[in-house]
Amino acid sequence: MADIKEIDSSTITPRELNKKIRLINNEYDKIVIKNPGAEHNLVAGIVGEGNIVIDGSAGYFAGTMLDKAKINGNAGWFVGDNMTSGEIIVEGSAGDGAGQGIYGGTLVVKKGVGSRTGEIMKGGTIIIGGDSGFMSGIFMMGGRMIILGNLGADAAESILRGEIFVLGEIESLGKNAITIDLTDEDKKCLKKLLTEYDFNLSDDNYNNFTKIVAESSRPLHGLE
Amino acid sequence: MCGIAGIVYKDGNLHNVGDDMTNMLHALQHRGPDSAGFALYGGLGLKEDEYILNIQLENTDKNLLRKVQDQINMISPIESDRLISTTENANLYQCKLKLDDFHMLKPLIQQVDNIDDSVVVINGEHSFSMIKDVGSVLDIADNYNTRSIKGTHAIGHTRFSTESGVDLYHAHPFQTYIIRDISLVHNGQITNYWKVRDPLERKGHVFETNNDTECLVHYIADKIDSGYNLEEALEQSVEDMDGPFSYIVSTPNGIGIAKDKLGLRPGVMAETDDIFAIASEEVSLGKVIDTSEVEQIYPGEVRVFEI
Repeated sequence: MADIKEIDSSTITPRELNKKIRLINNEYDKIVIKNPGAEHNLVAGIVGEGNIVIDGSAGYFAGTMLDKAKINGNAGWFVGDNMTSGEIIVEGSAGDGAGQGIYGGTLVVKKGVGSRTGEIMKGGTIIIGGDSGFMSGIFMMGGRMIILGNLGADAAESILRGEIFVLGEIESLGKNAITIDLTDEDKKCLKKLLTEYDFNLSDDNYNNFTKIVAESSRPLHGLE
Repeated sequence: MCGIAGIVYKDGNLHNVGDDMTNMLHALQHRGPDSAGFALYGGLGLKEDEYILNIQLENTDKNLLRKVQDQINMISPIESDRLISTTENANLYQCKLKLDDFHMLKPLIQQVDNIDDSVVVINGEHSFSMIKDVGSVLDIADNYNTRSIKGTHAIGHTRFSTESGVDLYHAHPFQTYIIRDISLVHNGQITNYWKVRDPLERKGHVFETNNDTECLVHYIADKIDSGYNLEEALEQSVEDMDGPFSYIVSTPNGIGIAKDKLGLRPGVMAETDDIFAIASEEVSLGKVIDTSEVEQIYPGEVRVFEI
């Protein structure tokens, strides 16, 4: 039987909460934070293999540098900022800068997000179940982003490397971003990944994705 | 960084708006510790020609108070008045009077302002209560008994000062006397401030500060005075303003938010059958409304709810 620890965060500050989790993180299979109240920095800066459930909404920088977290509500700006491995799942929506600068792991937001999703991401995977706003993928340097809704203006602005898959409409592309056809391998990977996170699309849907990549990996130098 | 919030009760009836806005702003206290303010609409119950003046007096000299009262009585007899202590132990003199025309209000305010350097008119109001001061949200709410105020809708602000002074006068909300009972709270900077202000001054707008929020409220009032509705005025402002901003405007009929085209300042909203609420962060919305369906305000987006 899993050893689960519940912590009521309504009576302590996020700093006290994080300190407490840091001390007991390895003692339990799962830590459940009750009454998170959309506070900022919940479980931020806790590096390691913890399995943490935020039972409600979180504010800014939720789960920064953490390996495994589930948020049963919404998340504010910069959820999963700089994550390096593991997975963070947000059952609701998220604000601007979701997955900013991630190096690895998987960030899943079941509903829509704000602007600049995956800004300067260098690796890992971001899956957005709804729309993603303005300048998503700006300065993207690696990794993969999958948007099941619409993508806002100036998508993938100044992208250098990496790939974005979009099922909905793309308002406009940013500089150095182009669209190309998906390969059969792309479709197979998408299906495997999305099914794993309970996004059950019909087979037809996989033919409707658009793939965005960089036109040049050195656009600022004018050299190829 | 500042915090902004707005709430509208959709049935148009009086609710505990002072309590709700206090809780919303308290949740945003971390975004701005310098000052806080409220514009609480619908609960004053004044007759069409009645107004309230809020005047800060830097000392308790009875002669000074008498001078202020005499100046006001020359224009219109004071119907009732009271003295309130501000959080910095200055004195706020509040009086009720009648004016035949709303446009008499601004000249009256200027005359009172000119009495002495220690006399500053904070505002004149008709359909809303403006409460603003330096200090924390809870201290201000306690001092002015804000939680007891009822109303139909409200906006509020917690201020982190970046461009201008920390005092009662620079606290938000700001208002203007171009049209009646418009107020505005703002998080951000308007970087083409002078480009916006100059044409307004040439049209006769009088500015009291160099604060960009004052410029914004003049701009919106000017647009509405020119025939724009609130939504159109906010949409035009997104085109005309440069810089990072999100701001909320309130009129006697409702509230609206506008966000800059790059989305550099936050804004979220939630709506139920009973309430429409906007704030810088979800932590504020959660004090008054179910936040299971929070919507982002997207870059360049405008949202309005009018009763």
